[in-house]
Amino acid sequence: MSPKIDLLDSLSEIEQSALIGISRAVNPEELEALRISLLGRKEGKLSRILKGIASVESSERKLIGAEANRIKKVLTETLEIAQANFEANDKDNSKFLDVTLPGKKQWKGSEHPINCVIDEIWQIFRSMGFTRVRGPEIDSEWYNFEALNTPLDHPAADEQDTLYLKESGLLRSHTSPVQIRTLENHSPPIRVLAPGMVYRRDTYDATHTPAFHQIEGLVVDEGVTFIDFKATLAEFSKRFWGAGTKVRFRPSFFPFTEPSAEVDVKRIVIRDGQEVETDWIEVMGAGMVDPNVLENVGYDPERYTGFAFGMGPGRMALLKYGISDLRMFSQNDVRFLSQLSDGPIR
Amino acid sequence: MNISYSWLKEIIPDMKMKPEEVADHLASRGAPVDIKGGGEIGLGSVVVGRVNTVKKHPNADRLSICEVDNGKEVLQVICGAPLIKEGGHYPFAGVGSELPNGMKLKKAKIRGEFSNGMLCSEMELGLGIDQGGIMLLPESVSPGERLIEVLNLGEIVLEVEVTPNRGDWLSHLGLAREVISTGMENLQLPSIPGAVDLTVRTKTGQHKISDNGVSIRIDSPDLCDRFMGIVINDVTVGPSPDWLVKKLAAIGQQSINNIVDATNYVMLELGSPMHAYDLDKMEGGQIIVRNASEGEKIKALDGIEYNLTSEMLLVCDQFAPQNIAGVIGGMDSSVTEDTVNMFLECALFKPKSVRKTCKKLGIATDASYRFERGVDPEGHLGAIKRALEIILAIAGGEAGRSILEVGPKPYRASLLPLRLSRVESVLGLSFDADELQRMLSSIGFGIERSEKDSVVVNVPSYRSYDILREIDLIEEVARVYGYDQFPENLSPYLASSVPDHPLFELEEEVRKSFTDAGILEAINPAFANSREGDVELLNPISSEESHLRNSLLPGLLRNLESNFARSTRDIRLFEIGTVFRALVSSVGEEGREATNVGAVMTGSRTPHHWSTVKSDPIDFWVVKGIVGDALEVSGWKAVSLELGVKDSDLWVQGRAATIVCGGEDVGSFGQVLPERFEAPKWAGEVWALEFILPSRIAEKEELFFKSLPQHPGVDRDLALLLDLGVSSEDVISKIEEAGGQFLKEISIFDVYEGNEIPSRKLSLGIRMRFQSFERTLTDVEVELVVERIIRKLAEDLSVQQRL
Repeated sequence: MSPKIDLLDSLSEIEQSALIGISRAVNPEELEALRISLLGRKEGKLSRILKGIASVESSERKLIGAEANRIKKVLTETLEIAQANFEANDKDNSKFLDVTLPGKKQWKGSEHPINCVIDEIWQIFRSMGFTRVRGPEIDSEWYNFEALNTPLDHPAADEQDTLYLKESGLLRSHTSPVQIRTLENHSPPIRVLAPGMVYRRDTYDATHTPAFHQIEGLVVDEGVTFIDFKATLAEFSKRFWGAGTKVRFRPSFFPFTEPSAEVDVKRIVIRDGQEVETDWIEVMGAGMVDPNVLENVGYDPERYTGFAFGMGPGRMALLKYGISDLRMFSQNDVRFLSQLSDGPIR
Repeated sequence: MNISYSWLKEIIPDMKMKPEEVADHLASRGAPVDIKGGGEIGLGSVVVGRVNTVKKHPNADRLSICEVDNGKEVLQVICGAPLIKEGGHYPFAGVGSELPNGMKLKKAKIRGEFSNGMLCSEMELGLGIDQGGIMLLPESVSPGERLIEVLNLGEIVLEVEVTPNRGDWLSHLGLAREVISTGMENLQLPSIPGAVDLTVRTKTGQHKISDNGVSIRIDSPDLCDRFMGIVINDVTVGPSPDWLVKKLAAIGQQSINNIVDATNYVMLELGSPMHAYDLDKMEGGQIIVRNASEGEKIKALDGIEYNLTSEMLLVCDQFAPQNIAGVIGGMDSSVTEDTVNMFLECALFKPKSVRKTCKKLGIATDASYRFERGVDPEGHLGAIKRALEIILAIAGGEAGRSILEVGPKPYRASLLPLRLSRVESVLGLSFDADELQRMLSSIGFGIERSEKDSVVVNVPSYRSYDILREIDLIEEVARVYGYDQFPENLSPYLASSVPDHPLFELEEEVRKSFTDAGILEAINPAFANSREGDVELLNPISSEESHLRNSLLPGLLRNLESNFARSTRDIRLFEIGTVFRALVSSVGEEGREATNVGAVMTGSRTPHHWSTVKSDPIDFWVVKGIVGDALEVSGWKAVSLELGVKDSDLWVQGRAATIVCGGEDVGSFGQVLPERFEAPKWAGEVWALEFILPSRIAEKEELFFKSLPQHPGVDRDLALLLDLGVSSEDVISKIEEAGGQFLKEISIFDVYEGNEIPSRKLSLGIRMRFQSFERTLTDVEVELVVERIIRKLAEDLSVQQRL
C-alpha cells in the first residue's frame, strides 16, 4: 500500500472523527481537549502528520500537505464556532429573548353558553338511551294546546301568553307539541329529548324574555311508572347539578301530565372557599303523561304509560354560571361570550 | 292567594303547626308558599297622616302642597300624586324615616317650597304594585296611628301559589282542608263579634221564585246552575268595624264599606264570590239572569262602561243590566252609604262563560278568577248564611223571610271507581283498599264501596272540577302518600326507537367549523321589525318586534353596533337560528321555517402581536375561507360562487358573492355596506355571511383510507398571463382537463397585477404536483404534460406563459 493512500485515509479519518467529536462536545473544556488532541503543537494528530510530511516523497508531499492544511482550517473554524456557541449559551438567555412577552395567539371561538348547557343536558340523557327530536316553531292550537289536554277555554291556557301570527298559526309557547308529533310519527319505546326555541308574550326583564330555549323530554313505553319517572329525573339532576345535590319532587299541575310535579334541587356550591347548600331551586316541570294525551294520538293508555318533563336551559345557565340577568344571553356582548368560552362546562 | 295565619288557626283550632310547617306541608301538597310579614318590615316609622288642606304648588302644575296632621303636629308636605282629598287619611313618612325600598326621607325643598316628609303609595311601602295613587286609608283611623297596626301588617301572611286546577284552594277554608290531615269535621269558622244565631229557611224553585217582593228568574239555565240570594232591609252602610278592616288589610284587601267588606270576607273565607245590590235601585224588584242583548251597555263599579255581546251572562233588573255575572257589578245598583234595602247574591255561573266574558272585556276580578277555576257548587247556602250573620252584626237590618234559590240543575256528587291494579301500574307501588281509603278520606273524599280489587270514591263537591277520572284520583293518592316517599330505583329500560334528528348533528358540525375559526356564537330572539320580516304577529310585544325575522343578519348587525358602542374593535359573531317566510301554498306550512347560518366579522384576523406592526384585517378571502369550511360540513354539495348579490342593499357590490347550489341561491357573503350599521370612526370594514342549511340532510359519506404514494412527486411552477375576465377557476379546470392521471395537486401561489406586466392582464402563479403510485416520474414525462397544459391554456383561454 502506498504511503500516500495511507496518509490520505488517516487524514480523512481524523477529519470525520474530529467533526463528530466537536458536535458531541457538551462543554468548552471538552472542546479545548479536542483542540489540543488534534491541533496541539506537540501531540496534536494533525501537527504530527504535518511534521512527518518531510519523509513523504516530494511528488506526493504537495497533495497531502494541501489536504492536511484544508482539514486544519476546517477544524479550526468549526472549533471556533462551537466555542462561540458555548460562550453565547453560557450567558443569561433573557438578555437575548424576553420569554415573558406574549406569544402569538389565535382568536378563540365558543359555543353560546345556553347551547353549552343544552349540550351538557343532552350528553347526560344520551347516556340514558335518549335521542333528539325537533318540531316546528310555528305551530297550531291543536298541537300547542288541545292535543296536550289543554282546552283553550280553561285558565291553564292563560299560563302561557301565546303569540299568534296574522296568517294562520301561533308561535309554540312550549316544546311540548313535540311530544305529540313524536307520538304520532314513532312508536314505543320512546325516549326523546326536544331542545328548541319557544315564544311567549312576556316583556324583557331579568328573568323573562319573549323568546327562550326549552328542553322537552318524553318517555313512553309499557310498564313505565312514577318510580321510573322519579329515578330518571333524580339521576339527571344529580349528574347535571353535581354530586351532593338533593332532589325534591312536589305536586303541581300541568294539563298534559297527571300526576304532575315540580322538581326542585338543592345544590352544594363553593362560597368563600366553603361548601354551602343553596336554597331549593325550581328546575323542572314534569309528570306522568296524561291518559288523554295518549288517547289523543291513538295510544291505549291502559297499555302504555310514560312521563314527560320540561326545563329551561337559559335559567339553568343563569344558575350554573352565576349570572343574574337573562338578558345577558341575548345581548351577545363579545366580552361576555369570550369570558365564558373557556368556561367550566364540558 | 294570601292566607292569614291567624285566620287559618281560627278555622283549625287545634293546629299545632308553625307558619313554616304549614308552608312546607302545603308545598308538599302542591301549593308553594312564601311567608310574609310577622317581623320588622321597615314600616315602623310610617304613621297615618290626615290631609287638612290641599292647594296647588305655586311653581309646579303637577305638585300640590298639603297640610298634613301626623297626630303631633301639622306639617307642610309636597305631593306629586293627583286626587289627594282634603280630610283623607294617608300613610305618612316623616323626615328621618326609612321606607322598605331603602329611601331615607330628608327635609327637602321642591321648587321653592319645603316638604317635611312624604305621603306614600302602595308601591313605595312595598305593599302592592299600585304606584300611581297614594294609598287611601279607611276613615276609622286617626292621625298618628302606626301604619303597621292600622293595616295589621304584623300579621303573618302566607302567599300561596295556586295552580289553575285548584279553585278550591282560593279560600282560607279550602287551604285549611289541605292543612289538616284528619277530621274535616273539626274545622270551624271564626266567631263574629256581635253575631246572633239565626235560622232562615230556603225557598227553592227550578226556574223562578219570588218572596219578600223580589222575584228571581233564570232565563239562561245553561250558563247558571244555581242562583241564591236574600233580601236584607234597613241596613246601615258605613265603615267596617276595626276587626274586619284589619283582617282584610292583613291579606292586602282594602276596606270599602261594611257590606262590601262582608261579601269580600266571605269570599276569602269560604271561596264563594258574592254580590250585594241596592235593592231599591233594582227596577220592578226583579232579578233576571239572562244573556246580554247585542249592543247593551253597563257602567261597572270600576267606572268603565262595557259594551256587551250576546254570549255574556248578566244579572238584570226589569230593564237594565246590573251585574256582569261573576265578573263585576254595575255602578247603578251598587251599595253606597244611601243604601237601605239590599239584596245579597251568591250564584254558580259556568266557568267557561265567565272566562269568555272576561277575555272579551279584558277584565279580571277576584270573583271572576274564582268562577273561572270553579266555585264549590254546594257552598252557596253556607256562604249566604255566613254573609248574613256578618252583615246583621255589623250593619244591622233585618233579613228577609227566606233565602231564595233558583236551581235548574241540582248538583250530583260523582262516584269514581279506582282500580288497585291501575294505581300500581301508574305509580309503581301497590296499595291495598284500606290504605287508599285512609289516604283519600284524609282530604275529604268519601269511600262509597270497597271491593277486593277496587274502591268507589265519592268526590267532594269542591273537587268536582278537577277530579273527573281515575287518573285524577291516582294523583291524589300520590300526593297524600308524598312524592318524596316514592323510591328512586332506576329500572332497566329499552333505548329509544326514535332516530336522532340529523339536523342536530349537522348544526353541531357547522357550529364547530365557526368556533374553530375563532368566532363566538350569538343567539338573538327571532323578532324583527316590518322591514326585516315577512311573517307578522297578531299580538306583538312592540312595533319593533312586530314580525319574525327572515334573516339572521339584522340581529347580528345590531349586536355589532352594541359591541362597537362598548369600544370593542374585534367582533366575530355567528348564529345558527330559525328564519321565517310567509305562508305560500307552493311550499306549505313546513316551508315557513328554515335554519340559517349567519356571521358578522370585523377587526383583526388574529389578535394583534407586538412582533408585527401591520394589522391584518379580516378581508374577503378570510370570509371566503370561513364560508368554505362551513359549507363543506353543511351538507350542500357542488357549491359554486358568483360575484355580486342580486336584489340586495346590504352588500358592497364587487366585494360580495352569491353562494349557488344546483342553480339555487343558498346564501351570500361579502362586505356589508357601511350605511347598514352605526359605527364609530375607528371601526374597520364589516364582513358578513349567511346561508341556509339544507332541509333534507343527505346521509354522510363513509370515509375510506387511500394508500399514501410511495414515490416522490415532481413540482412544476407556471407563471401565466390571463386576460381580465378569465377566472382562476377557469384556468384550474383547463389544467385539470389537460393534466392527465399524474397531476395530483394544483395550487395558486401568486396573483399579480401591475407595472411589470401588460395592462388589462393578470399574472397567476400556479404550482402543480405530478406523482405516480407505481414509479418515479421522469423529467421528460412531466415536461410533455406541462407542454400539453400550456397549449390547452393558450388555445382555450388565450393564456400566455409569462417568461
